Amino acid sequence: MKLVNQTKLVAILLVFLLLVSGCASSSSTKNSSSQETNKEDASKPKSGGELTYALATSPDSLDPARSGLAVAVRAFRTIFDSLVVQAPDNTIKPWLATAWTVSNDGKSYTFKLRNDVRFQDGTPFNAAAVKYSFDRILDPKTQAKNAVALLKPYQSSEVIDDYTIKINLATPSASFLSNLSQAMLGIVSPTAAEKYGDQFSKNPVGTGPYKFVSWSENADIVVQKNKDYHWGPANVENKGAPYLDKITFKIIPEEATRIGSVQSGQVLAAETVPPQNIAALKNDSKTQLLKVNTIGLPYTLFFNQRKGPWNDVKVRQAVQLAVDVDSIVKTLYLGTYERAWSPISPGILGYDKSLEGETKANIKKANQILDELGYKKGSDGIRVKDGKPFTLKYVDGSPNREKRNDIAVIVQQQLKKIGIKVEINITQDVATVIYKNADYDLYGNSQVNSDPNALSAIYHTRTDAEEAVFKGLTGGSDPELDQWLEQGTIELDPAKREDIYKKVQQKIIKDAWIIPVYVFPYTVAASKEVKGITFDSLGYPLFNDVNIER
Amino acid sequence: MAILNKILLKIVTAVVSIFGSLVLVFCIIYLLPGDPVLSMLDPSVATPEMVANLHKELGLDQPFYLQFLHYFMSVLHGDFGQSLVNRDLVLPKILEHFPATLALTLASALVSIIIGVFFGVLSAIYRNKWIDFIARLIGLFGISMPTFWSGILLILIFSVFLNWFPAMGSDGWKTIVLPSLSLGFVGAGLIIRMVRTSMLEVINESFIVTLRAKGLSERAVMYRHALRNALIPAITIIGLNIGELMAGTVVIETVFSRQGIGRIVADAIMAKDLPVIQGVVFFSAIVFVVINLLVDLSYSIIDPRVRRAN
Repeated sequence: MKLVNQTKLVAILLVFLLLVSGCASSSSTKNSSSQETNKEDASKPKSGGELTYALATSPDSLDPARSGLAVAVRAFRTIFDSLVVQAPDNTIKPWLATAWTVSNDGKSYTFKLRNDVRFQDGTPFNAAAVKYSFDRILDPKTQAKNAVALLKPYQSSEVIDDYTIKINLATPSASFLSNLSQAMLGIVSPTAAEKYGDQFSKNPVGTGPYKFVSWSENADIVVQKNKDYHWGPANVENKGAPYLDKITFKIIPEEATRIGSVQSGQVLAAETVPPQNIAALKNDSKTQLLKVNTIGLPYTLFFNQRKGPWNDVKVRQAVQLAVDVDSIVKTLYLGTYERAWSPISPGILGYDKSLEGETKANIKKANQILDELGYKKGSDGIRVKDGKPFTLKYVDGSPNREKRNDIAVIVQQQLKKIGIKVEINITQDVATVIYKNADYDLYGNSQVNSDPNALSAIYHTRTDAEEAVFKGLTGGSDPELDQWLEQGTIELDPAKREDIYKKVQQKIIKDAWIIPVYVFPYTVAASKEVKGITFDSLGYPLFNDVNIER
Repeated sequence: MAILNKILLKIVTAVVSIFGSLVLVFCIIYLLPGDPVLSMLDPSVATPEMVANLHKELGLDQPFYLQFLHYFMSVLHGDFGQSLVNRDLVLPKILEHFPATLALTLASALVSIIIGVFFGVLSAIYRNKWIDFIARLIGLFGISMPTFWSGILLILIFSVFLNWFPAMGSDGWKTIVLPSLSLGFVGAGLIIRMVRTSMLEVINESFIVTLRAKGLSERAVMYRHALRNALIPAITIIGLNIGELMAGTVVIETVFSRQGIGRIVADAIMAKDLPVIQGVVFFSAIVFVVINLLVDLSYSIIDPRVRRAN
């Protein structure tokens, strides 16, 4: 019966895929030259033109301090520059800051700033503007979001002279420079921020390669070329003003419409291509497919260790053995997403490659563990202990982002094989269910981040005060792990940090705190006319080198 | 005088309905599980003080009746509150986006009336012939097809393959064609059935026989007399249908990426932006009540019997 169910599910999926791919591929020709990267040709890029770029959701705010969404970063990265930039090899390179020194105790950074930069509104860029930008994030009136966490452990800034600033931290922080490279800590024009107040999110002004023109809600965000720009970062080829006159970010939530708009030529590029369209688009002579893995914490299922039996490492290991992540990723994403093996994604400092291939599904062993723990299978195949059936409450959010709800259904099928009954709760109110009530046994989440210190917020033991506001995702506590995470936060030697975070990753996987599932690839479908879309180290698109060839 | 009284009574009923909907909307939103403040703050940085301050700022620390009274008084002054996400004033935001939704609703209503009446009449005239079956099939399709599916199908055919109409957007008349077809088709299904049934009833009445006996052409009998009488029940359906259409814009505006209040409320629901949800739902209730008031009043213009009944 179990087998029949799963075969049925697979059969339905296959039929659906055939239908979808049948519809889509009829429009494509037999051109098999798929393009995964989008480097410029030797020919000189043409100036002028407008790029239309479809976003999958509405940005929440174009104020770097007040935004909490990746989609917003894709739009406002064009408007705001940062002090430093993180190169693809994770080294930190100058941007608005030309050089910096760190004090011996690791608690203060002195930055030399460029003296030839102006904000798009004409305000000169200087040390006072940097101080203003950071102090503004800490000001409760700003109601800053993710920027607050990124800026930690920032304490204060001292303007030494116009182009020198000293930043003081409460504690040493190995991830501080990497965090400074993120767009959410971009430098804002003090004049504009003062003038617009809480409407700055609709009138953003920075030093970036494009300046803001308009934002009509649910329709589009328009930015235009900043002609004075000549301080491009190390991760782009064109350090001067961008080639494009204008970028229009169109907001098209429905995926079929978004991809249809590229195919019909209504927009030149669209983000987040559904897996079933990827193959067809690769073979389409008019479009190209760009793909980059995002870095940070991959999509991971977290056990809630506050509740029994999930505080027992053996029970968690049994579930870890029973969930066949390979088959989930292959079935749902058709080979377009990579499987995750560690609590952090490949490409991030300290990623432990040795974990790849380590965790293999093994139903027999999982059953054996549960047998030994005294969970007896009942007549309906569900295990019982102390008269209580073995259930697992699996919570996931709605809408069904990246087919995460479907993962829940497959896990339900898979855990049935070892006699665990999975109850799925798809909720719109993740804030209450997860972060307030912690009413779950298994819950999945992911995070874009540039530094392994992101592990600390998730896996370090939380204080009662912290738990009173928001419950942490794991509810677990391990003194050894805490110690390593604390070391990792302050250790400034990259080689030593790598070793620390390798130990952290191994321990988290060995003790089955989580089941890592997939690494999210950011995908863009673009017309072949569009050249030069590149991505930064976090996987956000860069438009400095983009040009349109007609 | 009698007719004035009747109109006055209808208006009073409308005002009471609007107040009722305000109470209902407020209660539903109040009873929704979950604290909006929790979804506004970032779990990794929020402190208890931040939560408490925000509660106070939004007036969420006050008892239910005070919150309602406060909301009611503000609404009377035309203040629907502020968005929790981006601090926008709710009413100006609705008014800015409503014309796009209204245009889509009216275009869809037009589509459903044209398709509905056309096939409804054909269906009745050629009862049980193949034309009738085809018309009824179209009606069945209209009622059963979900708009998000028919919308994507239309995009695939008319944008991707034929490149006749844009797949998305809300600038220019071309962008309204596909969404209004997709949405109007649903209403068309209902109207086909309604017009067919009432046409068949009218056709069998004795005055039609008299008209035919007087030697009027079949065309005149059908279009000048039968259809006119058959339209009265259809108009009621259209009036009620406007509500359905407005609800349908929530899906259609998202599918076709159009601006409008449907899209705003869809986004607000995802973001738990309560003042916006509350504002849009209440505003839609007002529009719905007003349209039905107009439909009620229009009977007396179309059907002389209603006038005389007064």
